[in-house]
Amino acid sequence: MTSTLWILTQGAAVSLFLAFVGAIGGTAFALLLNVAAFSKIGLLRGFYHTYIYFARGIPLLVQALLIFYALPAFGILIGPLTAGGLVLTLYIGAMFAEVFRGGVLAIPRTLWDSTRSLGLPPASVLRKVVVPLVLRYTLPSYINVCVLTIKASSVLSVISVWELTLAAREIVERTLDVFPVMIAASCFYFVMCFSIDRLGRHVEHRLALKGFSGERP
Amino acid sequence: MTFLDWFAMHGPSYLDGLAQTVFVALWASLGALLLGIALTLLRLAGGHWGAAFVGGYVQVLRNIPVLLPIYLIYFGLPTLGLFWSAVVCGGIALIMQNAAFITEIFRGSIKAIDRVQFDATRSLGLSPWTTFRRVTLPQLLVYSLPALRNQAVLLLKDTSLLSVITVAEVTMQAKVLTERTASAYHAFLVAAILYLAIVALSEMAFRIAERRVRWR
Repeated sequence: MTSTLWILTQGAAVSLFLAFVGAIGGTAFALLLNVAAFSKIGLLRGFYHTYIYFARGIPLLVQALLIFYALPAFGILIGPLTAGGLVLTLYIGAMFAEVFRGGVLAIPRTLWDSTRSLGLPPASVLRKVVVPLVLRYTLPSYINVCVLTIKASSVLSVISVWELTLAAREIVERTLDVFPVMIAASCFYFVMCFSIDRLGRHVEHRLALKGFSGERP
Repeated sequence: MTFLDWFAMHGPSYLDGLAQTVFVALWASLGALLLGIALTLLRLAGGHWGAAFVGGYVQVLRNIPVLLPIYLIYFGLPTLGLFWSAVVCGGIALIMQNAAFITEIFRGSIKAIDRVQFDATRSLGLSPWTTFRRVTLPQLLVYSLPALRNQAVLLLKDTSLLSVITVAEVTMQAKVLTERTASAYHAFLVAAILYLAIVALSEMAFRIAERRVRWR
């Protein structure tokens, strides 16, 4: 059993790494997408909405298979891990983009009017108004998408990325010891997702501004 | 060969897959809804142990990926002697997973029901079961409709994961076609377009249904 647990731990480390890459890459990609979402150019806004429709309407597995099998046909030869990271970034980036966009749209209109009447430069508007508020509005949803990233990394096992789900499946196929191995893998995922959830709630409490996070002041 | 030729040649297998996808999605969403209602009932009327069990069930199934219960049930039931088909195993896994999310949705919706109504039912002398059947449940379902619509679309997309346990739905058909025709991406591109179409169609259908339900 200890060798099984050691293999599963290694798989969990790869899953965590993949989720980390997906979350960081996804956040960066989402910020870029939001520049397009709120730009004055209608074409960019249309591109944003089209991209979100595609990325959220196609199942993650189909997106992963598409990228994994289609890129080599166009000459781009990348391994499973890189392809997995790319797919995760694209998919999770779309989810983060919607979260951030919702946060920006939730800023009360009166605050936009005040920034204009104060004559604040755009950089200051971003730094002093948008970022603090969006951070506090979107933190619960952001943490939710982070948990989703860890769960989504398990889907990448189908395109042969070696991580926790594939490790568990390999052990089960070799030893036919289904319930203990699968329950152990579930425990790994549960610990990872649950701790991120709790960490998020803790950060939420620490960051709460009275009256701005939607709770009673 | 153009996409149209390719689709004309392989269209029927996609339609088979589509039928299987819709079949599994419909039955799994119905089952998940029923299980969600049963779990909500257990949480409301089961005392401390019932509420604790439901809370634990929801937390566990929300924090594990969808693939693990699918593998667990598909590979695990035969070791217990139950050789059920892949569709049934996948359906059970999807039902269990989505019931957890639906129970969470219901938990939020119950908080939206005005407390005054429960005082009224008590003053009318209604039994807890009648209260649940006639007051809680209808309002629960109506308040949860947007979130349930979201969950149903997620379930539709999660049926693609059943391809790993050989359920012959759209993704599986695409995989088989890729292997048979050695076409790199045509198969999956058509599958992606199919998913986009049914997701858009089901969202539209849900919104029309939502509009027809009378809001208080």
